[in-house]
Amino acid sequence: MVSKIDSTTTGLTYSHTVGLATMIGRGFYFPVDLAITSEENMLVLSRSLEIFAYGTRVTVCNADSEFFGTFGNPGTENGQFMWPSGIALDSEDNVYVVDDHLHRVVVFGRDGEPLKTWGIKGNAQGELYGPCSIAFDSSDNAYVSDHLNHRIQKFTRDGEFILEFGRKGDLPGELDLPWGVSAQHGSIWIADWGNDRVQEFSETGEFIKSIGTSGRRDGEMIQPSSVAVDTDGNVYVCDWGNERLQIFDANGNFITKERGRATDSKWAKDYLESNVEEAEARKTAQLEPDVSWLVDDPHEESSYVEKYFWGPTAVLLDKSGRIYVNESNRHRIQIFNRNF
Amino acid sequence: MSREEIDLIAHLMRRAGFGASWDELKVLEENGYDATLAALLDFPTVNVRMDESLVRRYHTDSSAMMGPSGSPMSWLYGMVSTSAPLQEKMALFWHGVFATATSKMQMGKTVFDQIKMFRQYGMGDFPTLLTRLSMNPAMVYWLDNHDNHKGAINENFGRELLELFSMGVGNYTEQDVKESARAFTGYTLQDLNYFVVRNERCSIWPYGRTTLGFSYDDEDNDKGEKEFLGHCGNHNGEDIIKIICQQPATARFIARHLYNFFVADEPLVPQWPYTPPKDPRAIDLLVDAYYESDYNIGHMVSMLFSSQFFKSKECWNSKVKSPAELAVGVLRLTNEFSHPRREMFDVSRQIAFMGQDLMNPPSVEGWHGGQDWIESGTLMERINFASEHIGNLDAPGVKTIIGAINTNDPEQLIDSCLDHLGAISINEDTRASILRFVDKSNSDKRVLDEELSLNVLRMIVSSQEFQRV
Repeated sequence: MVSKIDSTTTGLTYSHTVGLATMIGRGFYFPVDLAITSEENMLVLSRSLEIFAYGTRVTVCNADSEFFGTFGNPGTENGQFMWPSGIALDSEDNVYVVDDHLHRVVVFGRDGEPLKTWGIKGNAQGELYGPCSIAFDSSDNAYVSDHLNHRIQKFTRDGEFILEFGRKGDLPGELDLPWGVSAQHGSIWIADWGNDRVQEFSETGEFIKSIGTSGRRDGEMIQPSSVAVDTDGNVYVCDWGNERLQIFDANGNFITKERGRATDSKWAKDYLESNVEEAEARKTAQLEPDVSWLVDDPHEESSYVEKYFWGPTAVLLDKSGRIYVNESNRHRIQIFNRNF
Repeated sequence: MSREEIDLIAHLMRRAGFGASWDELKVLEENGYDATLAALLDFPTVNVRMDESLVRRYHTDSSAMMGPSGSPMSWLYGMVSTSAPLQEKMALFWHGVFATATSKMQMGKTVFDQIKMFRQYGMGDFPTLLTRLSMNPAMVYWLDNHDNHKGAINENFGRELLELFSMGVGNYTEQDVKESARAFTGYTLQDLNYFVVRNERCSIWPYGRTTLGFSYDDEDNDKGEKEFLGHCGNHNGEDIIKIICQQPATARFIARHLYNFFVADEPLVPQWPYTPPKDPRAIDLLVDAYYESDYNIGHMVSMLFSSQFFKSKECWNSKVKSPAELAVGVLRLTNEFSHPRREMFDVSRQIAFMGQDLMNPPSVEGWHGGQDWIESGTLMERINFASEHIGNLDAPGVKTIIGAINTNDPEQLIDSCLDHLGAISINEDTRASILRFVDKSNSDKRVLDEELSLNVLRMIVSSQEFQRV
């Protein structure tokens, strides 16, 4: 039961896990992002796999594991997506999904009915090349991580271009294959994936500050995928390349880290209750094997240790400050409370 | 610039790698054949391939590889982007010899981990490679060694180790098979029971699959005395491998496999006990290399590529490209996957439609290869694939080729296209066909244009000659 990465934490209390690997019905399949509605429902965006013509969808559920249905499916028509990568809601709970492959934004109504799409492939202002994350500010402006153009573009929620910021590079304010974008409390935070850092900008695109340098030690990060900020200004980073969550204070000082502590979700328990032979075998299984023989390889560690984050692609906070971490490779969301 | 040297190096790059562009060949020709070979062999110091984390970001199945589709894609990215093509070619070679399929265990990652092991140990000493193989989780499950127990042996791995992986039939007895199996008892898997229960149901629940790990159960290992190939003792698995690697039959078996893969098609492996090698002296040379290097595969490969039987023009273009060789060679020319794109999944499927479902060989014997790659359906797949990709003017590599072809003379146009596809040779009939097409286009349009160059490129990659390596 030895891990190379110390998973003990001081700042977070594990609450529970929501999820089950499914391509239909309740559950998620390679979820990449989530959003939380004004009614505290979760919309979980599943990418699924290229090999299957299903499983690519939005699952509607809540943190109590109540399942309400799904919408969206794979394809190129209205209301469909091929490589969905990010999901966000405007102030009316309309749903916006960005498609990394089709270079567009797909818009659904609050009940999941397809409304429209916007965006075309290109590198001119207003055009998109690999949009992979989207976030709305309090004025219903959308910020899209236009990642293959190494920039962020700001649009009205109808897709009218407002401004752009960032360009390829590693200087302050420059970006390299940016991934997650968040717009909270007047700031825009970017997971600057290729530069191993997160960066803060104003809503008009001025660079404010950067957190993180490349590495695996506390406060360092590798290829971050997502950022969120709480009401105190603390910054939560999905440190994707280190398979962990890191938390910094408003000044960028490291507070704590979390490697993941998943337990069986309600849906997992239901599954195991109805599959007794598998449940019995699972009881005797070593779900936390010794991975000390692995050298400097969190991705491999997570492939062996089931409770660890594996492919954390999104972090989000709800109104009460609970922290949700979406794990793509484990098809689940781990939920934590903060105690700092 | 020596034309003969270019053509010889082009031959080497096709066999030891996946071909080379005209620009690459010009540089390599300046270095010379020997330096080119030395660089190919020295892959640990030169290898750069697309970062796996980049692939994982985009392809979800390549991120977890817990299904069957992600691992071939990841390997394809590696083959298409690598700066050390011989390393990938050797992995492809061993994948054919130690054929292991995802079909039995569903998890692509387990087989991909085996490919990584081939990358690391595939050019080292043979005993180490076999030892790693015996402890490889994919192999343990593929050949049922988890069911091989003290007092109740399962011979599958113990038999194939001798029959298909090292010596070949006719060089050992049934008693040797049993003794080999006894030595490998206790070579099993972590959490075997849970894995087997889930695998039987194809269960991905609740949270996807978990990497399969090797486990050695010392209590289950038969430590009793064994007589194996005339050697008596309390042999364990490593002892068995050491004895195997000393055998002349092993040296000849591996030599013949290398010759079959890199030089010229041999009959199928089951025929080897009854059919002598095509070139016994070549096999003898490789056998000598095996012993003089203490069973080092890299040395055998080095001697092979340095030999006259490899450099001989009779060897050039005498083998049919495997689907992976064909597709990877084309994609390295077109350079259209310098960044992950969803279309790589389609490529991996097209290679399977050509008859080579990577990481899912039809049996433990692997693919038969040779002329068996070609039949009416697979030939159409091969031609369509090559023609479609080489005909894609949006692909950066194709743009470069078209930009470099600057001639209005039909003969020169064909020569230039052949060179830019990697110094390809075609016979007179093929050349005459293409020339007729160029002349007709020329008389219709009165000008040689980009589209015509593109069509000539497409005709060349559709030719029988381009199917060969």
